[in-house]
Amino acid sequence: MKRQIPLIIIITLGFMFVAHSFIPHKISVDFFDWFQDWAKAISPFAVSLGIMSLFMVHGTKIKRKVPNWQYSVVTLAGLVFTAFAGFVWGTQSGTPYMWLFENVQMPMSATMFALLAFYIASAAYKAFRARSAEATVLLVAAIIVMLGQVPLGAMISKWIPETSTWILNVPNLAAKRAIMIGVGLGITATSLKILLGIERTYLGGGD
Amino acid sequence: MNKNVIKFFDKIQNIDRRYIYLVVAFSIIIPLLIPFNSPTYVTKPTEDIYKKIDSFAGDENKAILMSFTHDASTMPELFPMEVSVLRHCFERNIKVFTICWLPAAAPLVDYAINTAKEDFDVQSGVDYCNFGYKPWAIQLPIMLGMGDDIAKAVETDSQGRKVENLEIMKNIKNYDDMNLVIDFAASSSSITWITYARARFGANIAAGVTAVMVADNYPYLQTGQLMGMLRGLKGAAEYEKLVDVFAAYESEDYPNGRPFSNEIIKETRVPITGDTVPYKYKKARIGMNAQSVAHIMMIFFILLGNIGYFITKKKEI
Amino acid sequence: MFETISNFVAAFLTLSIFSFLYKDNPFYKFAEALLVGISMGYAIPLVYENVFMPYVYTPIFLNHKFIIIIPALLGSLYMLRFSKNLGWLSRYPIVFGMSIVGMSIPLSIHSSVLVQMRSAMLPIDGINSALIFIGTVTILLYFFFSKAHKGIYGKVTNVGIWFMMIGFGASFGYTVMARVSLLIGRIQFLLGDWLGLIK
Repeated sequence: MKRQIPLIIIITLGFMFVAHSFIPHKISVDFFDWFQDWAKAISPFAVSLGIMSLFMVHGTKIKRKVPNWQYSVVTLAGLVFTAFAGFVWGTQSGTPYMWLFENVQMPMSATMFALLAFYIASAAYKAFRARSAEATVLLVAAIIVMLGQVPLGAMISKWIPETSTWILNVPNLAAKRAIMIGVGLGITATSLKILLGIERTYLGGGD
Repeated sequence: MNKNVIKFFDKIQNIDRRYIYLVVAFSIIIPLLIPFNSPTYVTKPTEDIYKKIDSFAGDENKAILMSFTHDASTMPELFPMEVSVLRHCFERNIKVFTICWLPAAAPLVDYAINTAKEDFDVQSGVDYCNFGYKPWAIQLPIMLGMGDDIAKAVETDSQGRKVENLEIMKNIKNYDDMNLVIDFAASSSSITWITYARARFGANIAAGVTAVMVADNYPYLQTGQLMGMLRGLKGAAEYEKLVDVFAAYESEDYPNGRPFSNEIIKETRVPITGDTVPYKYKKARIGMNAQSVAHIMMIFFILLGNIGYFITKKKEI
Repeated sequence: MFETISNFVAAFLTLSIFSFLYKDNPFYKFAEALLVGISMGYAIPLVYENVFMPYVYTPIFLNHKFIIIIPALLGSLYMLRFSKNLGWLSRYPIVFGMSIVGMSIPLSIHSSVLVQMRSAMLPIDGINSALIFIGTVTILLYFFFSKAHKGIYGKVTNVGIWFMMIGFGASFGYTVMARVSLLIGRIQFLLGDWLGLIK
């Protein structure tokens, strides 16, 4: 009941999907339509996982008054207030809910990633060293590609963007293709393991 | 070697990282404050997308789908692409659909549409339609369902209207009609489209990706599984230029834009200083000026770091 | 006026996050905590309006498709995930959604393996296609660990390493580009939308 039935569901439905890939029969189409309707009806509830986990983590921090617990209050207050604003004043443009998104959520999430430009510059200066022949090749390829992408590179010499395009189209292509074939086989193997009930970590712990 | 030189490199090897941060900031601030005209070279992966979209111009039986698979964090690279593609569609009377898979992407779709439609007489449900936010968990059922019947798979648009009743859906049934999907993403999500929509239904897939993802996508580009790719801010700048040079071109001979031509691209320089082009349509090209300076600075850092490394290493020996 | 205040709030929060570059501080911590909360809070009404209403409420209450009650109940089992005794029930909606991996078996082997292999085995008509072929094969051999990388085999796999290094170099170059682009976006906001210095 706890493990066997979920496994039976995934194995049965999984193999029906394998068959669906090959058989364009009406039964197969009806099966997919049924799955679509059910999957859509199940999907909104998945968001509850995120909400509950956030409340549990931050609720515990507040309850135990761990160092910096005040910031957990900010997180939960932000969550409750934004959701409240959406339900009470609506989610259309010009509402407090959208104001929060435009002026709070959006600039902060964009800035978080912008920080990485500083770190990568610092890493380029302090850690990117031509310690071996292989590292030198990596470094030279990186420099050519960097120059090849900007107008200044083409202004220095037309060979720079041309060499950059060659690097991407030939050695880079070969490298990424070989890795991709490996990954593709890995995905297929993992999917098969899930379907055959060998891979079960997604079921979580317990019996 | 001169002792002072060694001492200098010793010192700058251990420089506080915050000075590096300052240099990074200025290398971007200065070129943004003082804009200058620099050439934008258009590459084939961008050209291919432009030509494909342009081939649908004025065709009632064709449409494109723009899939937004990113949040605000990668907006600087992807937003100018999205605005340019929408502007192209609105200029050339091409039906365009939008869909997104992350809650945080939903308002970005609206921003992109609102930014581009200001200058055009287009109507939601007639010229374009935003399918709105659909959760990640049902991406595959919808992606596969659209191969059979788009209206059935998507059901409602972002305004809650039944998609099947919308005027734009006339003659648009599945991927045979919605013949190009462009996935704008900061991840490898275009591979999902390739795996499901292309492998099963033969849909044309293109990608608008952040620069991080570019190198990984080349194998798909070579096989044609990706028919084109907009690559980071440079891809956005290239598309901005193509729309300016062809789709937004106005003259007596070409009142609705002119056809694509490699000769014209080579000859044309669109100035980004001045008011010829509105700021929103040249944001990526202005950004590319700063990108040039920042790349030179990065290369300078790499070289300086390595010179310092070899000099101090020699000293130790 | 309202726009000025809005831009000021956005700029203040942007600078709060940038302040981390100097060192960790309460402004950064506050902004980070707020971001997590608002991101989650933002998703709730959106999911309710765009997913729950059209896919659960409308079919059941307006179209009277009562069969949809079953998947709705199945979905609500997600909420038991953190329960000690009933947590196992949340496996039902999880496996239902995951079963679609069945389709990925034929389709991903087609798109990521077969098509790629076919393109790697095209007739060699020039130096570039020869290089692509050699690169792909030597890297695949490099990842074959059942044979020790020694002697001639070791030399062949070494060629693969060189190809990979060039590939990683290209990725690094593009990564630098991406990070810089994102910073450009934020500085365009601060200088343009907030301070009005770029037009």
